[in-house]
Amino acid sequence: MTISLADHLRTLPDESLAALLQLRPDLVVPVPADVSALAIRAQSRVSVARALDGLDQFTLQVLDAARLTRDPLDGATATEAVLAMATAGPRPPAPATIRGAVNKLRALFLLYGPEHALRVVGGVDEVSPYPAGLGRPAAELDPRTAALCADPAKLRRALLAAPPSARAILDRLAAGPPVGSVPPGALQAPPLGAEDSVPPDPTNGGAPTGSPVRWLVDNRLLVLVSAGTVELPREVGLLLRRDTGPLGPVRTSPPPVSATPREAKAVDSAGAGQTMEVVRHTEALLELLSAEPPPVLRSGGVGVRDLRRLAKSLGVDDPTAALLLEVAYAAGLAGELELTGAATTRYGADQQILPTGGYEVWRAMSLAQRWAQLARAWLVMTRQAGLVGQRDDRDRPISVLSAEAERAGAPAARRAVLSVLTDLEPATAPTPEEVLGLLDWRAPRRSRGREAAHREVLAEAARLGVTGLGALTSYGRLLLADMTDADERGSDDPLGLHADAEDGAASTAVRALDALLPAPVDHFLVQADLTVVVPGPPDPALAGELEVVAEHESAGGASVHRVSTASVRRALDAGYSADDLHALFRRRSRTPVPQGLTYLVDDVARKHGGLRVGSAGGYVRSDDEALLAEVLADRRLESLAFRRLAPTVLATPYQVNRMLMALRDAGYAPVPEDASGAAVLARPKTRRAPGRAPVARTVDPLASPKLAGPRLLGVVEQIRRGEAAARAARRAPAVVRGGAARSGPTPAHGHSDALAVLQQAVRDKALVWVGYVDAHGATASRLLRPVSIGAGYLRAEDERTEMLHTFALHRITAAVLDG
Amino acid sequence: MSGGPLIVQSDKTLLLEIDHPDAQACRMAIAPFAELERSPEHVHTYRLTPLGLWNARAAGHDAEGVVDSLLKYSRYPVPHALLVDVAETMDRYGRLQLANDPAHGLVLRALDRMVLIEVAKSKKLAGMLGAKLDDDTIAVHPSERGRLKQALLKLGWPAEDLAGYVDGEAHPIELAEAGKDGGKPWTLRSYQWEAVEAFWAGGSGVVVLPCGAGKTLVGAAAMAEAKATTLILVTNTVAGRQWKRELIARTSLTEDEIGEYSGERKEIRPVTIATYQVLTARRGGAFTHLDLFSARDWGLVVYDEVHLLPAPIFRFTADLQARRRLGLTATLVREDGREGDVFSLIGPKRYDAPWKDIESQGWIAPAECTEVRVTLTDTERMAYATAEPEERYRMAATARTKLPVVKALVDRHPDDQVLVIGGYIEQLHQLGEYLDAPIVQGSTTNKERERLFDAFRSGEVRTLVISKVGNFSIDLPEAAVAIQVSGTFGSRQEEAQRLGRVLRPKSDGRQAHFYTVVSRDTIDTEYAAHRQRFLAEQGYAYTIVDADDILGPSLPSVD
Repeated sequence: MTISLADHLRTLPDESLAALLQLRPDLVVPVPADVSALAIRAQSRVSVARALDGLDQFTLQVLDAARLTRDPLDGATATEAVLAMATAGPRPPAPATIRGAVNKLRALFLLYGPEHALRVVGGVDEVSPYPAGLGRPAAELDPRTAALCADPAKLRRALLAAPPSARAILDRLAAGPPVGSVPPGALQAPPLGAEDSVPPDPTNGGAPTGSPVRWLVDNRLLVLVSAGTVELPREVGLLLRRDTGPLGPVRTSPPPVSATPREAKAVDSAGAGQTMEVVRHTEALLELLSAEPPPVLRSGGVGVRDLRRLAKSLGVDDPTAALLLEVAYAAGLAGELELTGAATTRYGADQQILPTGGYEVWRAMSLAQRWAQLARAWLVMTRQAGLVGQRDDRDRPISVLSAEAERAGAPAARRAVLSVLTDLEPATAPTPEEVLGLLDWRAPRRSRGREAAHREVLAEAARLGVTGLGALTSYGRLLLADMTDADERGSDDPLGLHADAEDGAASTAVRALDALLPAPVDHFLVQADLTVVVPGPPDPALAGELEVVAEHESAGGASVHRVSTASVRRALDAGYSADDLHALFRRRSRTPVPQGLTYLVDDVARKHGGLRVGSAGGYVRSDDEALLAEVLADRRLESLAFRRLAPTVLATPYQVNRMLMALRDAGYAPVPEDASGAAVLARPKTRRAPGRAPVARTVDPLASPKLAGPRLLGVVEQIRRGEAAARAARRAPAVVRGGAARSGPTPAHGHSDALAVLQQAVRDKALVWVGYVDAHGATASRLLRPVSIGAGYLRAEDERTEMLHTFALHRITAAVLDG
Repeated sequence: MSGGPLIVQSDKTLLLEIDHPDAQACRMAIAPFAELERSPEHVHTYRLTPLGLWNARAAGHDAEGVVDSLLKYSRYPVPHALLVDVAETMDRYGRLQLANDPAHGLVLRALDRMVLIEVAKSKKLAGMLGAKLDDDTIAVHPSERGRLKQALLKLGWPAEDLAGYVDGEAHPIELAEAGKDGGKPWTLRSYQWEAVEAFWAGGSGVVVLPCGAGKTLVGAAAMAEAKATTLILVTNTVAGRQWKRELIARTSLTEDEIGEYSGERKEIRPVTIATYQVLTARRGGAFTHLDLFSARDWGLVVYDEVHLLPAPIFRFTADLQARRRLGLTATLVREDGREGDVFSLIGPKRYDAPWKDIESQGWIAPAECTEVRVTLTDTERMAYATAEPEERYRMAATARTKLPVVKALVDRHPDDQVLVIGGYIEQLHQLGEYLDAPIVQGSTTNKERERLFDAFRSGEVRTLVISKVGNFSIDLPEAAVAIQVSGTFGSRQEEAQRLGRVLRPKSDGRQAHFYTVVSRDTIDTEYAAHRQRFLAEQGYAYTIVDADDILGPSLPSVD
């Protein structure tokens, strides 16, 4: 077959081959080496799947008809056969439509060959194993079933005999797909001899058989193809479809949209209102990011707590905040900032999300331009913001800006949904179900399983103001057209020579939106309750002024601000004077400035700067004003740059010591004082070398030391003591001396014995020989009188040295009562 | 862009530019569902709240209509999300109904079964719901009606109350509009009628009218509508007597039909006037006078000055849901933020009128508010600067420097009746001596108070110094000048109530003057700014003048 497609392609003129390549551009990536390579690729699973994905439901059904009418032997079919099958249903489509679909399939080379011997390319069966949702012919499945199917009357009888629950299963499988999984155990027969104990099942015709699936398998209407999977044979499926036709319900045109068209003006107005919201929220979001940048998680993205915080501050729900953040990021308004080691946050993150430099540019644009930038970013971003907050495959929550929310198919899904809206009459507001129905007809293979993503697209489009009241807005339509144009231009302009033309073209959408949005205003209304109302979006200059002089209170089409003591103080801090503020309010206000506001400004201005704070290196103070005046006027002290703070205080930026010296040099007599005002007295310090001992009289090394008197007696006593100690040590029992008596009780035993002995000794105040290991690991023994035991320590008196010793109990190896 | 008068903000406030030609029509369109929050001179602020939207639903407005009026009058595009939100909020009302079942009594019935399942699971409703009667119905004990409604409101599923009200014990009451005992004939003013009608149609609720706009008459008209025994709760005994006087004069009721239930007397008659104080008096930890609520089969309960409703009364009110309740107030701002409880227990706001509107109709006297700034002497400033923080307000508010200013102000109005209002007794005594005027304070006996008020009404006493007792419910129609020297810190409603003392229309249409004397550069000024907020939001612009201008030889021209 491969050869035959290749042969067929070889016979084609260049134009036809080019037409095929244009329809299926994936065939030339990379460019095939020859025609047979092209033919192999055109029949490959991937390429066929791509070609099928783009087909609408009707064309696919025609293809199914071609597949079903293939001759089992040589695999060829004819246009006539296809026509016959496709028109077999209750409402047959016009043959011309079917022919059109066949021609489309032939152009795509999904069907090829002459009209009387059409062939289906090989890959189709691989891509969709069940044509029209019908199973394989019974002959391929099971001979006994094939036998049943060979006898139409018998088959019909078998179907009619099916109990209602079994019939329901058949109907479901007949609608396709024709395979179903069977719960384990459903096919088991009741245990032998216990058939009667199975209760009669009313849904099963009162028969006490097991499950309906078992009944069907037993009656050969279903075939068990593998453990747990049953398939409906094609013949049974066709018989069950006698009412709808072999291909199921055939629909040659997309399902109609019943929605009543809305007023175009209302749609645009609602959408435009939403665009204002989006731009305002995005700006607020980016301001929040800049005020408190959220850290980037190790696993990527921004944590759910930070997202909640942002959402709460914005006054929107979490999904909206996630969408806005994703869009702002995609539009290049926010980005990560790498943190260097020291600035690492307490979460241990090393990146933060912050507004980018592009944000400043964006902020300076008009409302419509700002929105267009966001909307364009949304259309092309490969992110599915709706996934945020859901769980991924590993059951971990997906966080915003993380890699898990990346979906390469997202832009295509948006284009698909919006193109449905584009193709409807302007200002038609279909329900989400209708949009999904249309998508399902247009490209069933592409939209199936993506319903959730498509619904999300609709919700996001509404949230971003691309749609209003459920219908595509006029400027949204223009934006989409602009982008399609740009794409087409891009394909004709591989070198990007006309890339700059895009801005000019895109501005049609911007211009359309501009016309809908309120014009910026440069004035406000001031009221007696000190609120300032800007009746429209403020122009940037006014917004800048208001940001300084008033607190923001409410936003939307207009904005309300309140002038408070704090805001006036802020303005004064920012360099406005009271007169500036009065002038500002007079100039900008359309209404007379209330007296309360004037007073507020004056009051705050009067107190502003009433306290002055500064830094100085040192000060000079004196109760004698004349003396200070003299110091200030002294030219020799000019270098100190004295400033008079008060009649009795001068300040200088220089340090105290330098000032002291300079003053003294100039002949004054200053006294330094410390922080509490006490005089610091400093006497000049005389310098000295470190002390050393004087040379002593030299001792004659030859003269023997003289021993006499108390010194001699001391020596004697020392010797005696040593002797007594030695004797005592000798007296120490062997157990205590350690080393010698390892034959005795085990150490542990010895230790507990020792404790008992010591406790007794404490009570009796008796002398005890104690053996212990000292800090160096050497064993030693002493004769002691224990005083107390506690907290792991023994306190005992040494009779000889008359000192109180403390021993760690765990170091004591033995203890024996003296005597 | 339609160029309408309304700007819809994304925080659900609505800004109405009142100089716009469509402003009046727009106000009528949005009044049913949006609550008036502020009404200063140029731009009024309304707010869309769930409560307001649900009340609108209850009154028969649907979401479509609300959205339409927003779109119709909005100057700028209205965000789609806000419209969706409005529709969704309104859709939540009435999914649950409280109804009377012939067999089971009060039941909670669901039109949406999932909602019933959701609320039945809620912990907040634990113990309020009885047995499940079927999938859509749950029995409710009648005593839980109020609490259940309140809890459902908090859960966001407000129930439509179809259980109705008990009629109470009938008692004939008529308005004596023809004049009684030789009195002049009179008629109810249009806004009073509107208020009574709105209240009666809604069953229960709060009527907000400025001080001096005749709230008592709204109460009387509601009683005449109910024609049933009525319990009236008031703030103090003097206010109670005023109610009694007014009722005798303006309705068919006679002295014998009206009872006073206060610290002094305990009478229970077809119409009984009780004070909050006596109801919340405890003996041994128990509220001893609660039997009053069940003493008769009341058909109507009137709460005067509902913004002062003490917390225990809230709890009793929850049990009174089957009776009609009317709340009256001028300033529904509570510094404790419990406005929501007032609405859910007594009922939603049924009628509200901006002060300036009533003023422009001539029913309350036009008032001029002036803030007089006094500069403290150096000694006083020094004392203030070194005072403990908790003493500072007292120091600033009671500065002696204020005395000559007050005197000068009194002298500026030689032909008017002047009230001097303050919060500190010591200061009031100083003022009393300085101005040679009698003082009414907390310790003044009721008898003495009545005597002094009568003397003031008759013009015998020209200047009266009153303490906080004068904040509420004192009817002194001839007072045209009020001078406030000190108050309860930054209380907004106190300021409004004090202004209310001079708002009764004067016989010759004279203007009323409200002075507040504050010490410059002290916390007194800050509190004054806060106190003035409510009135500023009602459109009263304060003029600030310097005390020297008043003390000085030439009188300043006040624009």
